Amino acid sequence: MMRLAAAALVAVLVAFPVAARPAAPITWLAVVALAVGGVGVSVLSVTLVTIGGALALITYALALVLAQPAIDLVAATVFGATLVLLLALVHFAAHVRGAILGRAVVAGQIRRWLAVVAAGVVTASGLTAGGGALLGPVLGGATLPMVVVTAALGALLTAAGVIALTTREGPPSDS
Amino acid sequence: MSWRATTLNVSFLTLVGWALFLGVLTGRADLVIVAVPLVVALVAGRRLAAPPAVRIEHVVSSDRVLEDERLTVRVTIRADGPVALAELLEPLPSRVRVERGCHHAFFTLRAGEEVRWEFALRCGGRQRLRLGGPHVRLWGPLGLAATEARYRAPQTVAVYPHLTALRHPPRPVRTQTFVGHHVSPAQGEGIEPGDIRPFAPGDLVRHVNWRATLRHGALHVTQHHRERNADVVLLLDTLSEVGPPGTTVVDAVVRGAADLAAAYLARKDRVGLIEYGGQLRWVKPGSGRAQFQRLLDTLLDASVVFTYVSRDLDLVPPRILPPQALVLALSPLLDPRFARAATDLAARGFDLVVIAVSPATAARAAVRPGPVADLAARLWDLERRPEIDALRRLGVTVVGWDGVAPLDGALAGLRRPRLRRALAR
Repeated sequence: MMRLAAAALVAVLVAFPVAARPAAPITWLAVVALAVGGVGVSVLSVTLVTIGGALALITYALALVLAQPAIDLVAATVFGATLVLLLALVHFAAHVRGAILGRAVVAGQIRRWLAVVAAGVVTASGLTAGGGALLGPVLGGATLPMVVVTAALGALLTAAGVIALTTREGPPSDS
Repeated sequence: MSWRATTLNVSFLTLVGWALFLGVLTGRADLVIVAVPLVVALVAGRRLAAPPAVRIEHVVSSDRVLEDERLTVRVTIRADGPVALAELLEPLPSRVRVERGCHHAFFTLRAGEEVRWEFALRCGGRQRLRLGGPHVRLWGPLGLAATEARYRAPQTVAVYPHLTALRHPPRPVRTQTFVGHHVSPAQGEGIEPGDIRPFAPGDLVRHVNWRATLRHGALHVTQHHRERNADVVLLLDTLSEVGPPGTTVVDAVVRGAADLAAAYLARKDRVGLIEYGGQLRWVKPGSGRAQFQRLLDTLLDASVVFTYVSRDLDLVPPRILPPQALVLALSPLLDPRFARAATDLAARGFDLVVIAVSPATAARAAVRPGPVADLAARLWDLERRPEIDALRRLGVTVVGWDGVAPLDGALAGLRRPRLRRALAR
């Protein structure tokens, strides 16, 4: 049941780029993302699902670049929320595999995930309402050195976060 | 207990990084917005209050069971504050399987709520099963933070070998002075008729043999053999073992020894034990249920201990190995030191029976069945045969046992020498 729900979320993720630009290269990339994500869901591997999600995100970005549609912040929020739900669901399913679940465990988890996702959606809506008009022109009018520096800074911060987490002493086993 | 980040954070951070990078690279605001729910989840998943205190009660249904008997473990968990997700895992040794329920569980607890969790185990072989208590892991929302603790409640459960009733245990040649079930060559009070002799003053009228009296024309009485107990010493060979864990020859030897001990103790005999291996351990002969428990506890720890030191049975004091005792040696006869010890005992006049446990049966459990395995097993049996024949030529009674079938079947065909003939030797 959890695998089915996770597979449905992967399908939703890869549907976004195909819907944005139904072209052959996008479809092929979406199929690769679907395959990787599907394998991740079937073996309940968070790593594979993350790779599948990243591929879906790259495909979505490519589709947006090729199609150049109007900025759809609702679709972007739904895409992000789907990613959150997918990772949380696969992580939970991988851990509870073969274990017995007390009553209200699944219902309680779904309630908490939806609360977090709702908070994400509200924040995204707030940003859209307050700063959406600001973000588009800023990014659209950004010069190439500024884009490179900002991207490098984002990548550096992300890499630092990943390294800090993976090299931390005695983290709880996640396998 | 304190919260720690899990590796799921890496997945979230990776996707946030990609979304930001692609958003900046392509200049699309919607890609930046994709990262917002992920960032909110990361922040929400890490903003946690101190983990609530969790109280656990861990109860095992029994501290001693027979192998293949069911053992129930009951865990009660109670939290002071609300717990979004509590994971409990009871680590199990390899030769224990879960029969009912599961040794891994997840619960959601409200403040002050108590949850009971129960599962049944079945232990696959003799062992001292150590259940240390469950591992507890409390998960934060989305699994982005977790805290772990080990609830230590070490409990040891003795898993004794399964007992099979023996109808034909080897009859001891010599008996002791106490009342038992064995017919003694000595004459006295008993129910087994012995010699007939002329009546003497003091004889009871009920012992008069009327048929002999009429034939001889004078009063004759029937004498009886006394029913006496015997001293039995079980000599275990733990010098070497073959086979997969749980079904090794030492396990078969232990199972056979437990069956023999139960059979002789039920006949009011005194039973002792000598473990002849890397460590020389013994139990003084005794009788009764307490002695049986002592023997079972000693058998539970019987194992192969490697050592270069070669010990001799001369070290064993006579109170452990009484001269009149029936010695039952259980061995796969893989180590020549044990064959030498058995020969030595026979030469010292002990009433000795060697139960030769086949190592081929135990070894075959570890390999894939097939014609090669069959051939190897037959060759091995052939190689062992001269050694067994050499023991027989020395006057030692040797009984073959495959270690799997009931020992009673192997002992049924055993013929012990007549009492008088044996004593005349």
